[in-house]
Amino acid sequence: MKKYLPLIVLACLAVLPLVGLSSYMLHMIVLVVMWSAVGMAWNLLAGYCGQVSFGHAAYFGVGAYTSGILYYKLNISPWWGIPISIVVVTVFSFLLGLVVLRLRGPFFALATLAMGEMMRVSAENLNWLTGGNIGILIQERTWIDKTYYYYIVLAIATATFLVVKYLMQSKIGYYFVAIREDQDAAESLGIDTTWYKTIALCISGALTGIAGAFYTNYMGYIDPHIVFALHDVSIVTIMIVMVGGVATLFGPFVGAIIMVFLAELVRSIPGLGVAHQTFFGILLILIIIFLPNGIVGDFQKIKRLFKFGGACK
Amino acid sequence: MKRLSVMMFMLSIVCGAAFAGPATAETLELGIPLPLTGAQAKFGEMEMRSYQIAMEEINAKGGIKGMTVSLNFEDGQGKPEISRAIAEKLIDVKKQPIIFGDYSSSCSKAIAAVANERKVPYLVVTGADDAITQQNYEYVFRMNPSNAYYAAGLGSFLSQVVKPTSIAILYESSDFGTSGADEMEKYGEKIGMKVVVKEKYEKGAVDFKPILTKVKAQKPDVIYMVSYVMDASLLMKQIKELRIEAKLFAGGAAGFAIPEFINNAKDAAEYVVTATLWSTQVNYPGAKEFAEKYKAKFGDYPSYHGAEAYSALYIVKDAIERSKSMDPADIRAAMKATKMMTAFGPIHFADKDGYQNQNFMETLVLQVINGKHETIWPESTASAKYVYPIPKWRDRK
Amino acid sequence: MESFLQTLIAGVLLGGLYALIGIGMTLIMGVMKIINLAHGELMMVGMYIAFWMFTLFGIDPYLSVFIASPILFFLGILIQRFLINPVLKVDSILPENQVILTVGIGMVLANLATIFFKSDYRATPVSYGTSAWYLSDYWESAPFDLSLSVPWTVSFVIAVAITIALWFFLSKTDSGKSIRATAQDLDAALLMGVNVKLMRVVTFGLGSALVGAAGCLFIPIYYLFPSMGGQFTLIAFVITILGGLGSTNGAIFGGLILGIFESMTATYVGMGWAPVGRFLIFVAALIFLPGGMASLLKKKRIGK
Repeated sequence: MKKYLPLIVLACLAVLPLVGLSSYMLHMIVLVVMWSAVGMAWNLLAGYCGQVSFGHAAYFGVGAYTSGILYYKLNISPWWGIPISIVVVTVFSFLLGLVVLRLRGPFFALATLAMGEMMRVSAENLNWLTGGNIGILIQERTWIDKTYYYYIVLAIATATFLVVKYLMQSKIGYYFVAIREDQDAAESLGIDTTWYKTIALCISGALTGIAGAFYTNYMGYIDPHIVFALHDVSIVTIMIVMVGGVATLFGPFVGAIIMVFLAELVRSIPGLGVAHQTFFGILLILIIIFLPNGIVGDFQKIKRLFKFGGACK
Repeated sequence: MKRLSVMMFMLSIVCGAAFAGPATAETLELGIPLPLTGAQAKFGEMEMRSYQIAMEEINAKGGIKGMTVSLNFEDGQGKPEISRAIAEKLIDVKKQPIIFGDYSSSCSKAIAAVANERKVPYLVVTGADDAITQQNYEYVFRMNPSNAYYAAGLGSFLSQVVKPTSIAILYESSDFGTSGADEMEKYGEKIGMKVVVKEKYEKGAVDFKPILTKVKAQKPDVIYMVSYVMDASLLMKQIKELRIEAKLFAGGAAGFAIPEFINNAKDAAEYVVTATLWSTQVNYPGAKEFAEKYKAKFGDYPSYHGAEAYSALYIVKDAIERSKSMDPADIRAAMKATKMMTAFGPIHFADKDGYQNQNFMETLVLQVINGKHETIWPESTASAKYVYPIPKWRDRK
Repeated sequence: MESFLQTLIAGVLLGGLYALIGIGMTLIMGVMKIINLAHGELMMVGMYIAFWMFTLFGIDPYLSVFIASPILFFLGILIQRFLINPVLKVDSILPENQVILTVGIGMVLANLATIFFKSDYRATPVSYGTSAWYLSDYWESAPFDLSLSVPWTVSFVIAVAITIALWFFLSKTDSGKSIRATAQDLDAALLMGVNVKLMRVVTFGLGSALVGAAGCLFIPIYYLFPSMGGQFTLIAFVITILGGLGSTNGAIFGGLILGIFESMTATYVGMGWAPVGRFLIFVAALIFLPGGMASLLKKKRIGK
């Protein structure tokens, strides 16, 4: 059962558009899948390798702007942004890594946060390249039907999932976990920690960048405040993984369902008005107090809870 | 693991039930996306109240085509993807034949693209970026002038009364601020006004004194500032404190035109002029009544954002009533033929100068005189004579 | 010359206020090693208290320091005791999961403010709001004119006074010393019989009280709305890192450096770039000065 779970989930997701969902539901699902891809990418760096980044908006935004600038400056279809962003963001992540990977723990977290904000302000000020605060508007999106977008983002998320899965089954994956558990011990065992951290950062960044490039194509409009957002991208990514389950393969997916779908659901509760954020905030607080490793990470705990309560059998 | 999938399944059923809401024939349910939380919430709130006033009035007079109007406010939080989700929901689930609302340009863009793709008319209320109505979107209408026209009235005031030779432009780093500043720069070139400083700042900045010091050294005739919100009052307070003498302090709508500007900047706000689309003193039918009603209910006068929202519902009402059916295409045709007077001004959606379905209108200039916003330009609609030249800071008591 | 001096004055005043925001965070981060993303929201709460005291009872915002700080102290204690402590206790793969907790707390605080107080922009229009001292008023033949804003100066002076009081508390009292011990070496502090658990609670309360006081000092020169917290949280981070975790002296220097640097960037480079400058020195400090200003002070033997 457990072995085939990824396949089952994928199959379910693949046939989802065939059941005749409304375009609204499909939009929500596209967002869920896109955010789970970003979450998985973040999870590789933070959950497995232990480098908690607060600035994934930097990679997301660079990916998004790669797509946008191709269209805006060179008049090339923004879809080329997806393959090209892999190269661009990998190089970008490598350079960034030279600076931030020298730091550890909260210092690393805050340095990445600063990098994300610096990228935003730079994008705002480099008018000739990015169009500044006016942003980039793609005049006509490729398709009206969301099914195409859905399959593309599903392919991206699946690829991300596979990369993370196989990486973590390889020797590199064990190095990553060793670095997370104790960097000095890993170093003393002869692991070149800086090198492996750089690998984690580049792969994680590139995967995030692809999702960013997809975002440009899907939404058709980007500006620095949207794609380099500290709260709406960087922190949302962290929350997705933490709520879903750190260092688990399915955590980001479950987290994305909660952060996107459940948030929308709570928002739509009639009569709640603007209080929906309080409601959702309390939900987050409760999850983290009772399930510190996220829903998937603490799944055993949920099971036990249900058994004690007698709610399940 | 099995239990997880069961839970997911249950969740999806619950979701499905909650997302689909039936609409009765007697009431006309209209969903409106607005930023009700987050940094733009102030304006979302003001628009929400204005829509409500309009709704009560319309319902008291028999509703739209005999149907009672019921408004649903959806919190877009100022995030384009959520605004888009709301638009998708309204079009797809609620089958709403016309979409209107939202506040910022970025959210309006997200909705406009969806509305045009799905062939449902969308009335932009307050989103000011020029690009929105330059995309050949057949189904997108805009009632407020685009950013390029916001300061047109102020421009004529400058060239006819002040005749400045130099200008300093300070603007907020947002699409609204940037295009406002660019337009003023272009206009300055046209009338031979030298731009000595053009600087942007991050919204929410605490201290403007460094940048103002730089402005002071250049001694510009006019200081033009484009700010969304309270930055406006901070700028004026700090200008007063630094005693920067210019012939005129001018604002580009938004932050300078809301009542909070005067409440906070107090005496520093005196004699500041600002471009605006509307004021409580305009003689459009219903404008004063709306302003008074709003004040009686919420304690303060609305700015042009409120008037736009209030009138938007009337435009929608008018279009639905003239439309042959509740079909989006028919409503679009009716929208296109709109020619009406509202509390916000005359509304007619025209195609010209590269814009489509754009309402062009005269913009006004306000000046703070004795702690009140007075309309001073164009002189035909003025409620008070402008004060110019303005006294120096040193000579004010 | 005039521009330079005026900019310098602005930078120092701003820096002093920044420092007060930063000190609260540096204490919390130093003692508990947590990243508190609700810091700015706590400041917002402090500002609302000052605002309502002014609006309802006409109490000057500066006097509200004495009202807002105790309230926030207890609010901080409650948050630490009932929300953060349970999360700190449990074992999790990444200790950073408390970040979500503080994000959640921030969300709730900001949203409650929206519900109860509406999202209107508020300010306390105090009578001295725009008054200033001018050099030319005192010295007729001054070669240039400089100005010194009254509310900015008062806020600055109070911020300095609070900082000095805090310094005395931390270096002269037993509880203060215990807090510093906990920040420097948790295990050693435990061995020396410091009640670490209590110290954590007190520290969070103290940090909240400080940022609440900062809120009261900010409202006469700034304004208030429910979602204003985020940017001040960021500023507090920068100062904390610049100064060195847990070092109050460092935070003061960090705040001043940041204030002056930002002001100078705004005058001589462009205000649009000022935030880049802010994060640039931030990253530079992280890399070249990992211990922050505190480590420099230590070398020069002026720090503790």
